[in-house]
Amino acid sequence: MLKLTHITKSFGGVKALKEVSLEVRSGEIHALLGENGAGKSTLMKIISGAYQADSGQVEINGEVLSGNNPHLAKLHGISIIYQEFSLVPSLSVAENIYLGQQQGSWIHWKSMEASAQALIQSIGFELDVRKKVEELTVAQQQVVEIAKALSQDVKLLILDEPSAVLGSQEVKKLFSLLNKLKEKGVSIIYISHHLAELLAITDRITVLKDGRTITTVETREMDKNQLVNYMVGRELSSMYPEKKTKSFDAAKLEANHIESIPGKGAVSFHLHRGEILGIGGLVGSGRTEVLERLFGKGSTRDAQVNLDGKKVSLKSPRSLVKQKWAMLPEDRKKHGGILGRSIKENISLANLAALANAWGFISVSKEKKAVQELIHKLQIKIGDMENPLSSLSGGNQQKVILAKWLHLQPEVLLIDEPTRGVDVGARAEIYQIIQNLADSGLYILMVSSDMDELMGLSDRILVMKNGQIQGELQRADFSEERILRMAIGAN
Amino acid sequence: MKAILLKNNTLLIFLLLFIGSALLSDSFLSGNNLANLLRQTAPIGLISLGMFLVILTGGIDLSVGSIVACIGVTFALLSYELYYSAGLLLSLAIGLGIGAISGYLIAYQRVAPFIATLAMMTIARGAAFLFSKGAPITVGEHSAAILALGSATILGIPVSAIILFVVFALVFILLKYHILGRHIIAIGSNEEAVHLSGISVERTKFMVYAISGFLAALAALLMVGRTGVGTANIGVGLELDAIAAVVIGGASLSGGRGSVFHTLLGVLILGMIGNIMNLLDVTSYLQQLIKGIIIILAVIFQKNQK
Repeated sequence: MLKLTHITKSFGGVKALKEVSLEVRSGEIHALLGENGAGKSTLMKIISGAYQADSGQVEINGEVLSGNNPHLAKLHGISIIYQEFSLVPSLSVAENIYLGQQQGSWIHWKSMEASAQALIQSIGFELDVRKKVEELTVAQQQVVEIAKALSQDVKLLILDEPSAVLGSQEVKKLFSLLNKLKEKGVSIIYISHHLAELLAITDRITVLKDGRTITTVETREMDKNQLVNYMVGRELSSMYPEKKTKSFDAAKLEANHIESIPGKGAVSFHLHRGEILGIGGLVGSGRTEVLERLFGKGSTRDAQVNLDGKKVSLKSPRSLVKQKWAMLPEDRKKHGGILGRSIKENISLANLAALANAWGFISVSKEKKAVQELIHKLQIKIGDMENPLSSLSGGNQQKVILAKWLHLQPEVLLIDEPTRGVDVGARAEIYQIIQNLADSGLYILMVSSDMDELMGLSDRILVMKNGQIQGELQRADFSEERILRMAIGAN
Repeated sequence: MKAILLKNNTLLIFLLLFIGSALLSDSFLSGNNLANLLRQTAPIGLISLGMFLVILTGGIDLSVGSIVACIGVTFALLSYELYYSAGLLLSLAIGLGIGAISGYLIAYQRVAPFIATLAMMTIARGAAFLFSKGAPITVGEHSAAILALGSATILGIPVSAIILFVVFALVFILLKYHILGRHIIAIGSNEEAVHLSGISVERTKFMVYAISGFLAALAALLMVGRTGVGTANIGVGLELDAIAAVVIGGASLSGGRGSVFHTLLGVLILGMIGNIMNLLDVTSYLQQLIKGIIIILAVIFQKNQK
């Protein structure tokens, strides 16, 4: 139903897409796979009319879309759901679904709410359509996004990293929804880094690399390793750094009475110097909250944390940074980096005092030197350190945030989802950096929803459910099944 | 050259207005008029620089116009009680203090900047009327040296303009080379990320409002220096002129983006609009109307070129 032929698109001197062709059949779930910077987003924006191709054509149901624009694309039933939702938080579910579609100047609340309710039921969900969107979980918001697209008679639905914000239960629900849409004849383009998901849900996979189509394959003939080979020419097993068997010394980080979810009780655990302690569990199990408490966010009244016998103050992020704790947050754009500022300023931000004199004036040369060293050390690929952070790919952005913290020479590193939105190649590099940090004697506590990552990188894993630690696994006992059983409380 | 101008819309607007003014009136380019223009612009320039810092953090300071009135009256009253220099310093300290109160409310009590400074605006204006009993107060004789701030020149340049340029340079250095400046810009860009980087967002915000209050007090002294009188009626709407100057300078009201140099140009643009209309004998009501229209055009021009 959708046919792209020889699409080329340049930005300035850079060719983002070179002669890309793609065909999506009716009622097919078609994956678009590629590292960050491979050209996926550009291609999606050309389909949805946000960009115009320099050459090549977009054809939908045999009709060539010339001079495509968002409005025209919508008329042809193309709908795109970005990673960041475009819902209005303060409006109700029903209002969001029909935003911009009302006829005339008056809102007919009853009929609008009734049809919203019917729409959501038709895709197998239960939601109070009068609820405000800001009161919904992220997964529910996604349902609203999809319902919104469906309300406009969608023929081609494009989903950009839809599972990034979902727990594994919610991903299952999403999949059954997508399958239902497929039966209705809707075509779906599914963009994701999660190979397991692509293998589970899609019919065909197109791999993009450096702005070119590498191949289009039938999903059932593929496995993870083959896909990774297409993407980077690298075997999956080489993604994770080698673990030396090491015995830890007596130095310990002891965390006691950390309350993650209010009213659900507290957790206690310890962690050795040089150890990577992974925390697994479903989204909402309190994993992220444990890290947040340890970084001075939220109530830490009863919490007691000792580092190598010394009491740690959990007053605020500021007091923890002073005690040489660092945190790599889950949401890089909101909590990690300052996208609009330069790479240099982002790296030096947390420890400017080390680069300044007693009066607070920053030494330009010292700053450049320190930043240069860190960029080199972490092999961050940049053009110029004065370029904004937003000019980098996800993987390099993540490395910049890491560099910011390494400049502080931290003792403890808290990591929430180390490689969210990071492409495969950069992932391996980030894993190696984290392992090196552990080997150099940092305490590392890491939350991850990616099972491969959690098992590949951790020395030990705690599994959380409902604000409690459900179980603990030593490296020799790691298995996806065990972790999942603990996470859903079926152990 | 063309590239520089297209990148610097504010500079382009400035040059167009400057050339236009020179063509419209013969006396515009006279040394006397230019010195006068700088003298008139200096106080609003100081206030705009403070406002610029506040806006960089994503805030707003509505109290500056009232601080000007309050400090003008305060200085005039103090001139009968204290030595000239003591009165000067105390006046600046009070301005700093008023700003610090706004800063405390905003940073530590989490009051919205608009609300906190709106309250301080009312309080400072009220205090000015209360202390002066509503009447203009002439500065005492042994503090008459204040008039030098309004009239003296060094090498033909008004002292007030020199003060403006010095403060401009200080703000420039602050933003480019000082930790506080980095924090100010970073907070306006992504407050949460700055907080999570272990930086005290509270202290940075507090400082910014204190600086704004201090600069408003300095502006008040320049204005008293021009007239020799402190009065509670002065400075009404100055905060809006300052915001206009910052916006004409291309800064984003949501914070994190803007340039000091362009803010200064914004101030000079506003000053020139007033100046040329005075030279052309445009009545003051009509002046307001035209000024508003030019502000709109300048901002639209800014946007479209981006």
